[in-house]
Amino acid sequence: MAGVDLHLAWGGRVAVVGPNGAGKSTLLRMLATLLRPDEGTLSVAGHPLPAQARRARGLIGYLGHDPLVYLDLTAWQNLELFGALYGVPRLREAVPAALARVGLLPRAHDAVRTFSRGMAQRLGIARLTLHAPELLLLDEPYTGLDAAGGRLLDGVLADVGAGRGAVIVTHELDRALRLADEVLVMRAGRVVLRAATAGLTPDGFARTYAEVTG
Amino acid sequence: MSASHVAQLVALLRKDLRLELRTRETAVSMGLFALVAMIIFQFAIGQRADETTPFAAGIMWATIALTAVLGVGRTWVPEREQRVLDALLVAPVSRLTLLVARALALVVYLLAVEAVVVPLAVLFFVRGAEPADAPLIALVCVLADLCIAVVGAFLASMSVFSRARELLLPVLLLPSLVPVVITASGATHAVLGPARDLAEFRGYCVFLAVYALIFSLVAYATFDHVLDD
Repeated sequence: MAGVDLHLAWGGRVAVVGPNGAGKSTLLRMLATLLRPDEGTLSVAGHPLPAQARRARGLIGYLGHDPLVYLDLTAWQNLELFGALYGVPRLREAVPAALARVGLLPRAHDAVRTFSRGMAQRLGIARLTLHAPELLLLDEPYTGLDAAGGRLLDGVLADVGAGRGAVIVTHELDRALRLADEVLVMRAGRVVLRAATAGLTPDGFARTYAEVTG
Repeated sequence: MSASHVAQLVALLRKDLRLELRTRETAVSMGLFALVAMIIFQFAIGQRADETTPFAAGIMWATIALTAVLGVGRTWVPEREQRVLDALLVAPVSRLTLLVARALALVVYLLAVEAVVVPLAVLFFVRGAEPADAPLIALVCVLADLCIAVVGAFLASMSVFSRARELLLPVLLLPSLVPVVITASGATHAVLGPARDLAEFRGYCVFLAVYALIFSLVAYATFDHVLDD
């Protein structure tokens, strides 16, 4: 990445789109404190990274292409682990509530290895929201989700606002316009377009996207 | 260490032990390796030498060190294979807590292995062992395991992002364990050997404790950078 100078408003929903290799996931991993920029500065919620990475991490919920859960643990055990790591209070009530939200309570004590891809990704959504993060960082989160799972994630994102923000990396231009207040188009490690989604039409944005990404 | 650190540490350790109980991939393979190694030593040395007591400690700790390589090599494997590492790294957990949890899990595995290796070593190679020696040998095991676990967890974390980790880890780990093997063998021999020498035993134990402390301090000072960079 080079020459990226961004200030994302807290509480907004930002979609990041671009061709493969544009740097979308790299940007997201930097925000998630998983990568350090070689140069420049980066801060999340006023916490400069990497100096205050641990404070920033407590505010972040990160979901990648994979659900990021242990396949050999049960759904309950996974949420119990991540709840403890995030200091979630009253885990005994929080875990079943989170599982019920994603429709996995009946399979709470089954190993994740026995789940379908979509069910595992739904568990990933439960893990993502268990600690009520203020910033959701989502990297192609709809990968592997069935229609019900997609609606579930739409619902999570619909709750964004009132102090909770989201950065969503996606290849789907329509979804980007539908989910986000603002869209960033990246190409070759640079932000080549930044626009509010209000007023953008799918066809018009598709044409603009094709122009700026070459 | 605050209450939240302790809660995170307990959760991570419980996770490692749950994974092990479910998959039985680490402790069982370590135990089988140690068992086979002891039997091989018995056939190679035990049946051919009249007096094997002087070699018993060396055989035992060489076996434990080689077995430890297996266990340390399995460290971070579930996270890599099941793609969970990002979720752990993005959680607000100090990197040191991750290291301590890994090291404690390794201590548990090593103690399980020693529950097999030590009685076999005594049975095959030691003459005149007494039940009163058991607490002293247990102390050596705990101290040496702490050394192996701290160094092992640290080096495993250093090599977790390396493509050549299967090669790199033993190459880094085994030389680092040479002082532990020498000292633990010395302490064990001071107890089980022909001339029981408790002063020598104490000296070796102090060395093991200092070794564990030094590597713990090195890990404390550098581990954030090891995982974050």
